[in-house]
This record gives sequence, structure tokens and C-alpha cells, in this order.
Amino acid sequence: MKKILNNPADYVDEMLEGMVAAHPEIYAQPVRRVIARAGGAKKGKVGIVTGGGSGHLPVFTGYVGTGLLDACAIGDVFASPSAEQMAEAIRLADGGAGVLRLYGNYGGDVMNFDMAGEMAEMEHDIRTTTVLLTDDVVSAPKEEAEKRRGVAGMVYAFKIAGAAAERGDNLDEVTRIAQKAADACRSIGMALTPCTIPQAGKPTFEIGETEMEMGMGIHGEPGIWRDAIKPADEIAEEMLERLMADQPLAKGDRISIVVNSLGATPAEELYILYRQAKKVLDAAGVEIVMPLVGRYATSMEMTGATITMIKLDDELEGLLNAPAECAFWRV
Amino acid sequence: MIDSKAISEALKRIASHTAAASEELCAADGALGDGDLGITVSKGFAEAAAAELPDDVGMALLDVAKAFQRVSSSSYGTLLATGFMAAAKLEKGKPGIEPEEMPGLVAAARDAMMARGKGNLGDKTVLDSLDAVASALEGTSPQIMVETAIKAAGDTVERYRDLPNKLGRARMFGEKSVGLPDPGQLAFLRIVEGLRNEAHGS
Repeated sequence: MKKILNNPADYVDEMLEGMVAAHPEIYAQPVRRVIARAGGAKKGKVGIVTGGGSGHLPVFTGYVGTGLLDACAIGDVFASPSAEQMAEAIRLADGGAGVLRLYGNYGGDVMNFDMAGEMAEMEHDIRTTTVLLTDDVVSAPKEEAEKRRGVAGMVYAFKIAGAAAERGDNLDEVTRIAQKAADACRSIGMALTPCTIPQAGKPTFEIGETEMEMGMGIHGEPGIWRDAIKPADEIAEEMLERLMADQPLAKGDRISIVVNSLGATPAEELYILYRQAKKVLDAAGVEIVMPLVGRYATSMEMTGATITMIKLDDELEGLLNAPAECAFWRV
Repeated sequence: MIDSKAISEALKRIASHTAAASEELCAADGALGDGDLGITVSKGFAEAAAAELPDDVGMALLDVAKAFQRVSSSSYGTLLATGFMAAAKLEKGKPGIEPEEMPGLVAAARDAMMARGKGNLGDKTVLDSLDAVASALEGTSPQIMVETAIKAAGDTVERYRDLPNKLGRARMFGEKSVGLPDPGQLAFLRIVEGLRNEAHGS
């Protein structure tokens, strides 16, 4: 393992300490491993919380900010935070108008967040709702779409639900919009090399020097095929083909798209992918709004990329374009 | 009426009884899982027993649930916490639990745990134990409730011993699990045994 760290056991806490120290106007850590907005909860505004394991920056903690999230509970690398931390995040996010739990569909996170919602309701009378991201099309067939994992689609869900909450929508409305945004997202990933969890010290999977894996999940969950690495254009085409097979697009449809690095893949290669993705979408007569190319949801130093599409209507597009700011992204 | 103080005393007895059974439970779990069940259960009850419980029994049960969450992220710990939480919701604002509420509380815990663990009755899990105890307690007089629960939990272990596990990690062992007690059911038996003494006093 070759990493810049002190003690592997301190990895997450020192990372959070550094984040808050670098951006004190955006982030605060009022409770260990719970990041909230520096200014605290906004009175009368619906709160939005998320949570999950570390190792995915800017997901999850990074997206706490104006027009985005209010608080986030963060666990060890790739491990769920505890229900108590999540309950703290809910409490810190509450401005008196209820709290939406918006996060990715992973068994441990769901169990703990459901529990946290019950705790917050019993102890602090906070009403909560849940929307889960299930955008990874490879992780389960379409008939079992509710079993799919959540990946970079959550960036859109955070943004769109965050804008609805910021303009003063009530909890039911923010929940409806978040669900609509989550339902409109589709993602797929591919990987070239693994990453190493600091406390494990070993790579999350093994892959040949000249191989790639299509459909791999952000924690190294198995994909669809593994073979010799293909040219970038073929990779982009296959990824889009699979996304569009799951969510057909017609001429005149408007989408936004994230071409995302899993960590180690450079922006250069993301633009090579984007270039071909744009050609495919142009040929289909699909219009791209606000393309995002960069690191939006990572898996530490994994090499690889994900592509996420969100099919927009006027409501979603308006909220996507609303102002938002965190340390990693500004609209 | 079972008040917070009685709950706290029961937790202390369960903590000591499950600590004594820890090795047995770890061995049973080791045959079918990762072998830490005894530690999960005894640590959870030790943490809950150490807590200063509020007079509101609902909030007291919530603290018990939180104690389990704190010390253990294992699925058994989360399931027990879920069960306590379900009971907590029904008891919120009350100074004590009436004995006739017990079957309903156990059934509520069973239902919440089934929903959270996505398990079914008959899978050879702790859910079968809760189901058996809830049924057995129905209409039982307070004096014999604990012994009735112990018998139901013990019978469940024996009834399922020769069946295969159908859920969780033990399921992977398939036919190998036939003839072995389910570790979760066995742990539940040891938990209920820890309640002894209390029924005579309340």
C-alpha cells in the first residue's frame, strides 16, 4: 500500500479535520463524523441529509452546502456510519420543517438510516422521509430496479432536491422532487485498476495489466464483463448504449450527463470519453444540458470512469440550474 | 407493572447470563458464520445494563436499542435494536409495561425485525423464536410468563435443529446447517433465560 497517511486508523478523522479546516465557511463538524453546514440548519427549511462510507469524495460529505445538503454522517472507508451518527445528522439538519434522507441503496446504510429516522422521530419529534438512489443499471435487471445500487446519480438528486428545499418547498414536495430526480438517473461504471482501503492494506480486487472491467461498482462489485481494454470510443459507446437501453431517449429529449473519474483517471481521459458520448447523443438528437466532466463520485485511487445521465423535464432542469455552492462544485 | 428500574435489573441479569454463554454462542456461530455472536450479544446487553435509563419506559427501551447500535454493527445487533425500538414506540410516555402488553410487544418486535431483516418465518432465524414466544405468551398469567417464554424459545431451537438455514450467512452452509442449532435462536434462548427471577418479583 502506497498512500499519504499517518495511522490508517486516523484516516477518516484526519481527512474530515482537514476538510473543515480548509473550508470553514462551508463545513462544520459539530459531532464526530457528522458534517453540517457551517451556518447550521436554516429555520423553516426542509433539511436534507445523506450518509455513507468514506472514500468517495466529493460524495458524500463534500455536497454539504447552500442549495445542496444540510448534513452528512460519514463512516469508515466503504463502511456505513452508525445509526446514532445518522440520527445526529438528522437532528443537525432539522430546521423545524422535517428532514429528507437521501442516499444510495446499500444494505447497511438503509438499515442504519431507517433506524436513525425512528430515533430522531422518537427523541426529537422530527418527521423524516426517505429517497434512495438506485441508478447503477448493471447492479440488477430492470425488473428489479429497486435492488440497484446508488452511484453518481446522487449528485443530481442532491442538487435538484437541494434547490427545491432552498426555495422553501415543504417536506412532501422536496421528497416528491427528489424521488423524481432519482428515478430519472441512470449510471454505469468501468474500471481499470482497484483501490486500497487504508485499514485493509490490500487492493479491493485484482485485475490484469491489460484488462478492463465493464459495469464494475464503486466498491469493486463485479461487473458484466472483463476483457482486454478497448479504445475509448468503444467504451463510451457501450456505456451509452447500455444506459439508453435502460432508459430510452428520443429526438428532442434533454438530459444532463456526468462523465466522472473514479479517482485516478485524469480529466484528459474523461474528455476523450465525453467527446464520443456527445457524438452518440447528437446523432440521437438528444440535447445535453450542463455537462459535468471531472471527479464527482470517486472510489479513492481507483482508475476508471462512470457515466450518469438524467432525463430532464422543465421542473428538473430549472432546479438543476438553481444556484448552489460547496467546496467541490458551484452552480 | 415493569418499570424502568425493573428493565434495568433485567438487563443486568441478561448481561451476566449472556456473558456466561458467550463462548457457547461464539462456537455455535463459528460453525455457521463468523463466530462473534456471543460477543455481540453479551457486549450489547452489558452496554444497555450500564446505561442510566429514564423513567419513561419507551425512552428507556430506546436507550437499550441505541446501546446495541453503539457496540455492534453486526446484523444480529441491529435486529435486536430494531426489536427494542419497535417496543419503545408503543411504550413512549408510559411509566411501565403492563404484563398483558407483553405478547403484543414481542409480536411488534418480530414484525419490525422481519421488515428490517427481510426475513420470513420458517427460515430458521431468531424471528421464529420471537414468533413462538409471542404466541405462547398470549393469555398467559404474569407469574408464569418468563418460564413460558423460556420454554417457547427452547422448543424453537429444538424444532429447527434438524432443518436447514434459509437466511443470512448460515444459509450458505445449506445442508451442513442441518443438525446444528441456529445461533440466533440459541442466543435468544439465553437472553430469555436471563429474565429469570424478574417474573416472581413483578
